[in-house]
Order: sequence, then C-alpha cells, then structure tokens
Amino acid sequence: MPKQKPPAASKSEPPKSATPSGAPPSQAAPAASAAPAAAKANPPSAPSLDLAALEERLKDTKAIGLFTKLSLKNQVDDLLKQFRAFYDRKSSASLDELRQRYDLLLLKVLSLLQDGDPPLASAISGSREAIWGILSDPQKFAKL
Amino acid sequence: MVRRKHTLALAAVAALGHLTIVAAADASLGKDLGATIALQGMPCDKVVDAKRNSDSDYTATCKDGNRYHVFVDSSGRVVVQKI
Repeated sequence: MPKQKPPAASKSEPPKSATPSGAPPSQAAPAASAAPAAAKANPPSAPSLDLAALEERLKDTKAIGLFTKLSLKNQVDDLLKQFRAFYDRKSSASLDELRQRYDLLLLKVLSLLQDGDPPLASAISGSREAIWGILSDPQKFAKL
Repeated sequence: MVRRKHTLALAAVAALGHLTIVAAADASLGKDLGATIALQGMPCDKVVDAKRNSDSDYTATCKDGNRYHVFVDSSGRVVVQKI
C-alpha cells in the first residue's frame, strides 16, 4: 500500500491540496479593500462560515426530499468517518483522495440544490474552501 | 337549484385541488426517490411509479424499466436495492 500516510496530528504538515482558508490572514486576497473598517474587524481571509446555519438550511430546504436529505446525511457521515480514520492512521486513503471524495459529495449537493434553492447552493459553494479548511486540519477537525 | 350547483362546483374544485396536491406529492416523491437512487450511483432516468410498502419503504419503477427497493434501515441509512 504505497499510499500517502496520514499526517501527524499537527499543523506542521499541511495537505498538498490545503486551501487558502488555512493560510494566515496576511496572505489572503485583498478583496475586501473597499470596506476597510469591516476588513479590520473581520480579516478577509476568514470567509463567513456558519456550519450550523448551513446544516439548518439544508434540513429546511424544500428543494430536496426527505430520502435525498437522509442519503446526503449518510454520505456526509461516511466522509467524516473516513477523515477520522485518516487522522487516526487507520485508513489507506490519502488526503488527496479525501479531497476528491469531498469535492464529489459537494458536487452532488450543489447539483441537487442549484435549481430548487439557488441561494443555498450558492452559500454552500461559497463555503467550499472554508469547510475543506476545517476538514483538512486535524486540530480543527477534532473540534467538529 | 342554484345553491346545489354551487355546492357541486365547490366539491369539484375541492376534488380537483386535492388531486393536484396528490399529483404534486407524487411528483415530488418520484423526484426524491429518483435523486436518492442516483445518489447511490444506480441508473434511473425518471421514476414513473412509486409504490409505498410501509413507512419510509418504497418500490420505485424507473422509466428505463429498472426497479428499486428504497427504504431506511434500522440504523437510519437509506438503502437502495435493485429488484
């Protein structure tokens, strides 16, 4: 099994595909230059991410039915288990593979929502990297 | 006589409304089952019939002829089995 080993539980080994969300605030794109006051209060590198709110909106949306929601929840739980196994060094999957699975799952969610609930699809799409930033960071993931 | 006609008309409208709601629910269920089947990676272009077996337990027939047993197992997982 010559696959990539799970990283040690520290930030010293960032994943190859880690996203800018894990980067320090100073490296963020200066997109918020038009609102300096707000930018000072909230660093631009920290995209607004409210996982609980997104979860609630997913539960409440009428764009997808109950079976679909439950199937998605099953798949999200499965992916979280895979991340847990990865960080516990009990998985042969690499972080790159987990990223692919994460991307695929997000694509499924977006394709299901894009017609029936475009605002939610947009919110999830906009949180894509921030969520990955949590998943790919062992310490942040442990706090989930 | 006029009152009777009105009553009949109202009953007809109510029945039609009910049918519309039932049809919408069926369409919604078909869409839900179709998306669920697709999420499990199984082929189904469109669900044309859904038979309820019990709570959270359906037999779905797809336009392409594929039939699936879709249900929620005791651990809360959605299971899709090809029939």
